Amino acid sequence: MSIEVTNVTKKYGDFYALDDVSVSLPTGQLTALLGPSGGGKSTLLRIIAGLDTADSGTVAIEGTNATRLPPQKRNVGFVFQHYAVFKHMTVAKNVAFGLEIRKTPKAEVKRRVGELLELVHLSQFADRLPSQLSGGQRQRMALARALAVEPTVLLLDEPFGALDAKVRKELRDWLRRLHDEVHVTTVFVTHDQEEAMEVADEIVVINHGRVEQVGSPDQLYDEPASDFVMGFLGEVTRLGPVRLRPHDVEVATSPGRAGAIPGTVTRLLRVGFEVRLQVQLGDEFGTGAEPVSVVLSRSHARSLDLELGSKVWLTAAVGAVTVPAMIAV
Amino acid sequence: MVEVSTPVKWLLRVLAIGYVFLLVAWPVSTIVREAFADGLGTFVEIFSDEQAVNALTLTVQVAVQAVLINLVFGVGISLLLVRYEFPGKRVLSALVDLPMAVSPVVVGLSLLLVYNGRDGWFGEHLEKWGVQIIFSGTGMIMATCFVALPLVIREVVPVLTEIGDDQEQAARSLGANARQTFLRITLPSIKWAVVYGVVLSLARSLGEFGAVKIVSGNVANQTQTATLLVEKQYQSFDQAGAYAVSFILAFVSVLCIVVVSILRPKEHSK
Amino acid sequence: MATATLDATARPTPPPRRRAGARSTLTAGSSLGLGIAVTWFSLLVLIPLTAIVATSAGRGWSGYIVTITNPQTMAAIQLTVGQSLLVTGINIVMGTLIAWVLVRDRFWGKSVLDVIIDIPFALPTIVAGLVLLGLYGNGSPIGLDWAYTERAVMLALAFVTLPFIVRTVQPVLEELDHDVEEAAASLGAKRLTIFRRIILPSLAPAIAAGAALSFARAIAEYGSLVLLSGNKPFTTEVVSVRVLSFIENGSTESAAAVASLMLAVALFVIVVLDVVQRRVSRRG
Ligand SMILES: Nc1ncnc2c1ncn2[C@@H]1O[C@H](COP(=O)(O)OP(=O)(O)OP(=O)(O)O)[C@@H](O)[C@H]1O
Ligand SMILES: [Mg+2]
Repeated sequence: MSIEVTNVTKKYGDFYALDDVSVSLPTGQLTALLGPSGGGKSTLLRIIAGLDTADSGTVAIEGTNATRLPPQKRNVGFVFQHYAVFKHMTVAKNVAFGLEIRKTPKAEVKRRVGELLELVHLSQFADRLPSQLSGGQRQRMALARALAVEPTVLLLDEPFGALDAKVRKELRDWLRRLHDEVHVTTVFVTHDQEEAMEVADEIVVINHGRVEQVGSPDQLYDEPASDFVMGFLGEVTRLGPVRLRPHDVEVATSPGRAGAIPGTVTRLLRVGFEVRLQVQLGDEFGTGAEPVSVVLSRSHARSLDLELGSKVWLTAAVGAVTVPAMIAV
Repeated sequence: MVEVSTPVKWLLRVLAIGYVFLLVAWPVSTIVREAFADGLGTFVEIFSDEQAVNALTLTVQVAVQAVLINLVFGVGISLLLVRYEFPGKRVLSALVDLPMAVSPVVVGLSLLLVYNGRDGWFGEHLEKWGVQIIFSGTGMIMATCFVALPLVIREVVPVLTEIGDDQEQAARSLGANARQTFLRITLPSIKWAVVYGVVLSLARSLGEFGAVKIVSGNVANQTQTATLLVEKQYQSFDQAGAYAVSFILAFVSVLCIVVVSILRPKEHSK
Repeated sequence: MATATLDATARPTPPPRRRAGARSTLTAGSSLGLGIAVTWFSLLVLIPLTAIVATSAGRGWSGYIVTITNPQTMAAIQLTVGQSLLVTGINIVMGTLIAWVLVRDRFWGKSVLDVIIDIPFALPTIVAGLVLLGLYGNGSPIGLDWAYTERAVMLALAFVTLPFIVRTVQPVLEELDHDVEEAAASLGAKRLTIFRRIILPSLAPAIAAGAALSFARAIAEYGSLVLLSGNKPFTTEVVSVRVLSFIENGSTESAAAVASLMLAVALFVIVVLDVVQRRVSRRG
């Protein structure tokens, strides 16, 4: 195990930013820390990097206890949410910084910087100041800077948070490819579940300062450990006593099945291959209650001959992932 | 933006310019006329007058040392106030502004009470060890440090707050220790604020009068600074001399202001 | 695939974000730095200022009162406070006006005006007195002879305090959102109303801060008055001059008593500044 975080607690005043968190992050993997804003992701990442200190608990990196080590002795690369570029240095100087601090010979520095700028596709911008780069370019420079010191682990705090959707997606794919090339243990923070699912080998879900679940993207999606994880990883709807994914709601036009709940189609929307329904349940489930969302394939919808106002009976599909619904608020 | 009507605009403009002209520009310009009333004669006299040369030299020595002390102290305390949390921080940050509001006369008196060799709180003991503060260069430097103390801090603190600690943390994560981070990252980012602070402190230090008058003893050729000399010259009816020394002081201080105002916009547009 | 059914534990929502209060984030090195800085600051500023309070208390409360209520001292206090209030009033109007002109008006030579505003900051005070004497003293080219009168005191104080309100109001005015003014105008507000209801309230903290500073500076002023005011007891003698003559006569206790009043004003102003700064930063 590359990074071992054990029983880490961090308080600000009497507020728990991290509450007894333990996770192990395997060597060579790309792990995502996923969770809502304010959940404690950055705090955990900063404690791993040594930029903050935990109130209690330990952090070990590659077998060495790093709990009391200052950041400059941990050999981690950190990429900051807002780049934290050195504004007064050129791109090349930025990337060279860590090597110069380590008193690397000049020729060696030059060679490494050249290689890294190549890697992040910034070779032609070597002599520019960061203010003359675009957001995505700055972010890649920050990444090259972090990689220059050959860190044991690479930590990225919402690396693409400040970028527009398209660049974000490009960089995301690029990060995955980069990781496949360089193979450095990488942890990145995101609050975007799609980003986490697409890029990471493993996802750690953090909420209110606690680890909700650790697992592969598939595990998390198919076997959410809690209502929260389920809700955070995809759309969820409520059908009677349970919560489940809209595509796990089975629709029938007659009350055949046991426990089927009757309702009326109040909205019908075709989106590409899908048909999205809103079904208002009968009065016995409370008229004010949220309608149930249902997703069907187009052909299935057509075979049922659905239209606005159709009477339908809903059940949870066999093998569907469900969690009990919380008491209505 | 809501425009004011033209007559009102002109009225405001004329009032502003008129007020500043009558209060500052015109009076300050008279000094040039007075100083050069006899051509360069007075200046030749000043620079060959031992007393004047000594006073100017002493002024520069005291000011430079005081500025250096305030530079180190000011940058250090700014870093502490912006980058760290500690009990009593709020009180300290308010107290460092105090010298701005304290009268130079009060400054002089306060140092006198603590450091005079006869019955000062510390001065008595220091005197026994052969250390004299009042009526010596040390006291003058301390008085000057006191009055100019907030200037560097007031320039540096907002810039430090504004740039945040992201870059410093990035440097730490890349292996830089505290000293390397300060020299390579923090200092270059606050460079201009430090320069303004130093220039303003220098102007203030060269011109200090009240506090220095009290702690220096005002002995000609020994503890008499340029500003003290101006007073003495004026009171002994050497108007020409007073204007000439004043011109030199005014010239340096106006130069400081101009330098700062030229540097400032450059940094904004960067 | 089995149906995963799990208990959803409802957690209380965390309290809103708060700054760490009195907690220290000092490292060993920075603690040492803080120690040195505080020691130096104490030796230079805090202990000497304490000495003033201690010394002024040396003759007890009644002695203190006797010193302060001495007619000549009272006259000096009255003159200083009166003139300082007057000058602060002038600055509130003229300082705001000049700041307005510097920010909103455009004309040739504006940048020169901007530089001239700073001159009183940097000009040695004794030189300030001398230059004012040149224009407003005996032999004035404009035929005024204000030297050694109350007017001279006002003039000197107005000179040295000119930059304070201008320099505190100017940046606030620059950052003021034009949209808000335009919105008000689009709602039918007249120019004067916009100024009074929209602009002035946003400038108020800055004006207050500048006024506090300029009042403090006026109370504290010494150098520019030495040559200009003549220091005539009961007519042009200000408190700082009074303190100095006490020192020169060797009566440090009396000097400290009067100085303690000046110190109280300084402390008050610093508290006002701190409060204003905090209010402004909370808004921003
Ligand atoms: N210096 C601090 N002082 C007080 N509270 C803090 C501090 N830093 C973080 N917190 C609190 O700790 C909690 C966790 O913060 P953290 O930055 O780790 O959240 P996050 O999961 O990274 O959120 P985001 O996605 O918005 O970046 C938040 O509630 C935050 O308000
Ligand atoms: Mg974060």
